[in-house]
Amino acid sequence: MSASEFKDGLIKEIPNLRAFAASLSGSMQLADDLVQDTLLKAWGNSEKFEPGTSLRAWLFTILRNTYYSLYRKRGREVQDSEGTYAERMATHGNQESHLDLADFRKALAKLPEEQREVLIMVGATGLSYEETAEICGVAIGTIKSRVNRARTKLAELLSIGSLDDLGPDRKSAAAMQRVGSEIVGL
Amino acid sequence: MSDADTAMDDSDGGESELMLDPKVQESIGRSLKAHYDDIVNAPVPDKFLVLLAQLEATEHRAVGAFPDERK
Repeated sequence: MSASEFKDGLIKEIPNLRAFAASLSGSMQLADDLVQDTLLKAWGNSEKFEPGTSLRAWLFTILRNTYYSLYRKRGREVQDSEGTYAERMATHGNQESHLDLADFRKALAKLPEEQREVLIMVGATGLSYEETAEICGVAIGTIKSRVNRARTKLAELLSIGSLDDLGPDRKSAAAMQRVGSEIVGL
Repeated sequence: MSDADTAMDDSDGGESELMLDPKVQESIGRSLKAHYDDIVNAPVPDKFLVLLAQLEATEHRAVGAFPDERK
């Protein structure tokens, strides 16, 4: 693989690296620093990449290792001082889904790291369970159980644990409280 | 039903795909994609392309400086 082919491969993966880095770190600014470090390391170690294997999985491994060794602590500090990207980031999707997306990101940021990363990898990046297991250095069964726990926790955080029962009940309970306080107010 | 589900969750038995309503899973899946694709579809900052162009140029210069290594 020539240097220019390798470069083109890296360029194609930048959007995915940014999305994964943002999901890990919770900050777009940290995400871009992380992507830059990842690109530099990838370039310096290009001879270690085996052509024919997944460049995305290889780059995600570098990015993830870099995050856990250098960025994790910084991520928490940035979140503490600036709030998570969920609250600040401009969205590029349609306006209608904007609020839902912000809520979802806040919930996602509350998941334990080990659950969040696998949920993103399996649910959004197009990586297989096998690739995800390899990137994280754990068994496939562990990935499956983390994904399950992540989904359950998200549903809980977003109050969609049981769409049919809980949702309407909570809404009406809240409505009744409002009515109650209005009555008391009178 | 919810008691049994909670028990399964706590036991952490691995294969417990039935814990969540499929509709809930679907909704979470859609939100995950929306979150991720939103960033994937955002414009890529120029600095990354500049960085890679610089790295490539440095490599070319290095090869040029040691013509013997070109073979």
